[in-house]
Amino acid sequence: MLRTIEIKQSVFADNNREADSLRAELKEKGLFLLNLMSSPGSGKTTTLVRTIEALRDELRIGIMEADIDSDVDAHTVQDAGAKAVQLHTGGMCHLTADMTRQGLEALGTEDVDLAILENVGNLVCPAEFDTGASKSAMILSVPEGDDKPLKYPLMFTVCDCLIVNKIDVMPYFDFDYEAMCERAKKLNPNIEIIPISAKTGEGVEKWADWLRGQVKAWKEK
Amino acid sequence: MHEMTLAIQAIRSVVEFAQENGIENIDTVVLEIGELSLVVPEYMEEAWYAAVPHTMLERSKLKIDMVPGNGICLDCGQVYNIVENKGRCPKCGSDSKDVLCGEEFNIKEILVPEEE
Ligand SMILES: Nc1nc2c(ncn2[C@@H]2O[C@H](COP(=O)(O)OP(=O)(O)O)[C@@H](O)[C@H]2O)c(=O)[nH]1
Ligand SMILES: [Mg+2]
Ligand SMILES: [Zn+2]
Ligand SMILES: [Zn+2]
Repeated sequence: MLRTIEIKQSVFADNNREADSLRAELKEKGLFLLNLMSSPGSGKTTTLVRTIEALRDELRIGIMEADIDSDVDAHTVQDAGAKAVQLHTGGMCHLTADMTRQGLEALGTEDVDLAILENVGNLVCPAEFDTGASKSAMILSVPEGDDKPLKYPLMFTVCDCLIVNKIDVMPYFDFDYEAMCERAKKLNPNIEIIPISAKTGEGVEKWADWLRGQVKAWKEK
Repeated sequence: MHEMTLAIQAIRSVVEFAQENGIENIDTVVLEIGELSLVVPEYMEEAWYAAVPHTMLERSKLKIDMVPGNGICLDCGQVYNIVENKGRCPKCGSDSKDVLCGEEFNIKEILVPEEE
């Protein structure tokens, strides 16, 4: 004979609870965590290097690399002047709050003001899993097309900031910037949209300003 | 791969639940997967059995119940299956809707052997 025990527990809800408790701890410690998401190749690592260069004199930065080909990436950001760890995600497609917590432990956060998670390159499921980060940002690069908000609405909904990268190649692509912004704002009226070229450095200062402001606000009680 | 991450999370939650409630033996775990949840049941099954060795669920069975992806049309109030109708209301053609169900990924229940 078998007895049925009802559980009715959402695996997503479990993660959300875990994420909320991590976020509360980070707030308590005054440690800002940014969750950075995008498709592979849209420029997360290059943007991180630019970000480190812009902020390293005022903030102590720690990077967690979870993107697939990122053994290289961890070294790249280390060379730029940040502390970095490589998270071994074993081919997983998204990070949970639990994995993020382990990553922070591996990184060591006593000497870090700003921690950044380079999430797995994928616009689908990282959007569904709250990592416990203070804020989330995504990168959309020009070659990927202006219709991405229509194809991956959830990602645009959960992010606080949208970086539009590779604007240096805008003339070669049929990318309607205004239409893309309109689509993104329809999904998320509060989203901050910042166009940059991580290659030339254009717009990076504006992104660094946004991030600096967020870190400051997080540290104020 | 998405399923592997989820399977590991779900297994951990079930094991925790069993420990908290003093359950030593689980015959079957029943999961509930929504049609709109991006979780593919066949992959989930594969990932589940790949991830259970060396846990207390090693010998337990897995059962998956699917939940239809239903929405309600915000223009005419029709309730319809979002997947079958490709996201558009079959009555008025509008695509504005609220999802009613089908996005879940739940641990529904477990079946445990009854003590004599
Ligand atoms: N033209 C151009 N190329 C860029 C820009 N940012 C990154 N790239 C290139 O895009 C490729 C992928 O960048 P990477 O930072 O590794 O992307 P990730 O996979 O998201 O970390 C590399 O070849 C970069 O040099 C940019 O602003 N403009
Ligand atoms: Mg990278
Ligand atoms: Zn995933
Ligand atoms: Zn309708």
